[in-house]
Amino acid sequence: MITLSQRLKKQQDQGVLNNRISVRDRLLARELQELAQVLPTNCLVNHDNVNDLSSFMLIIKPTEGFWQGGSFKFGVNVTEEYNMVPPIVKCLTRLWHPNISEGGEVCLSLLRQHSVDGLGWSPTRRLNDVLWGLLALFTDLLNFDDPLNIEAADMYRTSREEFQKKVNEYVIKYAID
Amino acid sequence: MRIEEGKAVSPSKSPTMADGVERMDNESIKPEKMFTLKKWNAVAMWSWDVECDTCAICRVQVMDACLRCQAESKRDFYGKQDCVVVWGECNHSFHYCCMSLWVKQNNRCPLCQQEWSIQRMGK
Ligand SMILES: [Zn+2]
Ligand SMILES: [Zn+2]
Ligand SMILES: [Zn+2]
Repeated sequence: MITLSQRLKKQQDQGVLNNRISVRDRLLARELQELAQVLPTNCLVNHDNVNDLSSFMLIIKPTEGFWQGGSFKFGVNVTEEYNMVPPIVKCLTRLWHPNISEGGEVCLSLLRQHSVDGLGWSPTRRLNDVLWGLLALFTDLLNFDDPLNIEAADMYRTSREEFQKKVNEYVIKYAID
Repeated sequence: MRIEEGKAVSPSKSPTMADGVERMDNESIKPEKMFTLKKWNAVAMWSWDVECDTCAICRVQVMDACLRCQAESKRDFYGKQDCVVVWGECNHSFHYCCMSLWVKQNNRCPLCQQEWSIQRMGK
């Protein structure tokens, strides 16, 4: 984290001198700092390459709910068009979840590029919103009615116990540090 | 660069909050979750309480050149900065540069979700 903060600071300082830094990187430098300020203790932001702010891992360890005890990695990719388009988020840990496919597709309205209901992406949103949205997928936003993994949702409807059992199986197999 | 603490509070309701908030607002939440929610609000509301003078898209003062114009240092090409402010019928203001990019994606005000139509432009 220290390395990243230093990097952010350096980037901002350079920004004053070097106007070639893209809008995305300028936004990212600021938003990553904000993210670090509010990051709950059960979450972690990890940059593989501190020279590239646009690609990082967000690790969430739910402290309650069905997935408690697991550690779930999300790959976040912020394209050059940010913040006119949402970050691309993929779940890199296999899990049994109605709103996340086994292939890692994440169903979260704020990550939708086009939406007319006002719940989709908007350039006023920040990385913080993405974090809270992903966290909520393990609690409040968990939605069995409009699932991405239909089998998981059906299983939950048929038997909560069976659902929890399968979730645990996946957690033990794929989501333990 | 930093969240201005003095302006960050006043967690009033807003239509741009992520869809999680509505549900998190109900009574059935545990105390520690309330804490999380408050922190979220403080950050999410940032653009609201300073909306009059800060562009909620690029977060630069509307009276200054937008982040894009700064990044491209347009001043070098035109000798003069011509990054103007645009006000919608909803009274929300943005840099014209920022808003013209966004309306290509979605013709709504990103702050209030109303259909975007320009009320006036200028400085
Ligand atoms: Zn702007
Ligand atoms: Zn501009
Ligand atoms: Zn508006």
